[in-house]
Amino acid sequence: MPSDYLLLTVFLAIAIIFPLIPLAMAWAWARLFSPPKPGKDKQSSYECGIESTGPAQIQFQSHYYLYALVFLVFDVETVFLMPFAAAFLKLPFSAFLALMVFLLLLVEGLVWAWAKGILAWK
Amino acid sequence: MLTALLPETILVATALVVLGLGVSVPKSRPLITAATLLGGFAAAAAVFLLPVDGNFLHGMVVLDPLARIFKLVILGLGLVAVVFASDSFPETHFAESLALILFSTVGMMLLTGTEDLLMIFIALELTSIPLYILAAFAKESRSSAEAGLKYFLVGSVSAAFLLYGLSLIYGVTGSTNLQAISNLSGIPDPLLIAGIVLTLGGFAFKVAAVPFQLWAPDVYEGAPTAAAALIASGSKVAGIFILAKLLTSGLGHWAGSAGWGQFLPGWAPVLALMAAASVLLGNIAALVQSNVKRLLAYSAIAHGGYLLIGLSSAGPESVTAALFYVVVYALTTAGAFGVVAIVEKHRGGSRLDDFDGLAQSSPALAICLLVFFISLAGIPPLAGFFGKFYIFAAALANPSLLWLVVLAVAMNAVSLYYYLIVLKHAFVLPAPEGIRTANAPASGFLVAALALAVLALGLAPDLLLTPLVKQNGKHEAFRAPAAENHFPSLASSAILNAGR
Repeated sequence: MPSDYLLLTVFLAIAIIFPLIPLAMAWAWARLFSPPKPGKDKQSSYECGIESTGPAQIQFQSHYYLYALVFLVFDVETVFLMPFAAAFLKLPFSAFLALMVFLLLLVEGLVWAWAKGILAWK
Repeated sequence: MLTALLPETILVATALVVLGLGVSVPKSRPLITAATLLGGFAAAAAVFLLPVDGNFLHGMVVLDPLARIFKLVILGLGLVAVVFASDSFPETHFAESLALILFSTVGMMLLTGTEDLLMIFIALELTSIPLYILAAFAKESRSSAEAGLKYFLVGSVSAAFLLYGLSLIYGVTGSTNLQAISNLSGIPDPLLIAGIVLTLGGFAFKVAAVPFQLWAPDVYEGAPTAAAALIASGSKVAGIFILAKLLTSGLGHWAGSAGWGQFLPGWAPVLALMAAASVLLGNIAALVQSNVKRLLAYSAIAHGGYLLIGLSSAGPESVTAALFYVVVYALTTAGAFGVVAIVEKHRGGSRLDDFDGLAQSSPALAICLLVFFISLAGIPPLAGFFGKFYIFAAALANPSLLWLVVLAVAMNAVSLYYYLIVLKHAFVLPAPEGIRTANAPASGFLVAALALAVLALGLAPDLLLTPLVKQNGKHEAFRAPAAENHFPSLASSAILNAGR
């Protein structure tokens, strides 16, 4: 039906115009009331008073990925411990046992990493 | 439920104990190896103790006689890799390598005992991820790092293919259970076809079939030999087993036919094309290899093709034949990698020249090499011959598949050349000066045992074939639904038929 498409076209036009209005108003406001005054402070990366130092392309230790992996132990632990703790009183003993086995697996991972000396900063 | 997973639980517990031993007593390799093997034997005993049949969590975990056979085979192959690793892996992170082999074995065992798409995917990932790490395990070697990275990248892309394919199958059929999926029939949704093709792509990576074979040569060559042995044997057995189960028991309605002049769309023609391409490319590319591990990789691609022929002819006999052959092939190739590992340790490389005069310096090892390579080539008294014979005979139950069988037999004749080249280096060429007898007691003993097994299965193939036939005929999984095809006949099939 042509009238359906007419409705769509009107909708499309409104959809384009609608976001343009605030943009145009902001542009007009800036032209009329805030003339450009570039300066050292205004051009700095973070306009909060602290000077930025050094280049952005620095090298950092890829050693960090090991910490990220070990952190995952605690991360996953939390995800499962929270709902477990919330429903603790309604759960059977076997659930407690299952979670303890799960924690044991995670702890062994941490102990293994520790004993392997992965946590020592090189 | 927990008891159904007893063997896997024992293996995981063993792996954790081995990791603990690796931290507390890292120097005592024999103790760590012994603990690993003990856990493996305990798991094998547990496989025997479990009831023969069972279905838990709606098919997530399934016990059946066929899966039991394959669990034992896979466990055996995992322990073979453990022994090879105990002879050849470096001192650093030794316990971790054994634990990884155990984790991967657990994945393969779970893969054989499930009828659920989700579980298939999870088990496949559990199999693959330790293998990626094992492939990159020789930290000092650049080629090992390259192998690990290539295996990981290609493997994770193919896992994405597989997951997407499985999710489409689930989306169309509304179930992740293979039995429930097989209850549906009728004209498949185009989405289902897309799902099947994507799934086949994911599995083709596992069995290294063309066009998903590119990782194989670099991984087999670069990975530590014990890891390559596991990748070539255990992972292939599990991959073929679950692919056969998925296709015949889950998607059996949509097999189609790859017969000459009787082309019907479905998964069978896709497999047949991949099989033909693998047999061609694998055998021809192997002719020019100068490294035995690389040669074995191309031979693995070719053998992936033979196995896919068994699956693509889609009858119960041909699937049984493929299952028989994959076990035989895994034993043979594990043994061949064992010989390569010993030679590599002894002479420092695995190029063809490193095998010169092996028959003079280590005659027993050379005879084992002869048994494995002759079996791979498919010469009668050995198991490889019967494996190929059964596959081709079962495929010819459908005479229109003659084109595929003729191609495979012709290419098998080509393969004889490169297997004999290796044997020529070992038996005809003289040994270099100052080479002494290779000394690797544990691996050597195991290689001899594998050679005996290949010989025994060649002299009495019934040992393995009878249980397989019995279980395969009796069991629900692997019995394809009545051959009916609901694919709309495509223009291509009409053209093919008009040409007749």
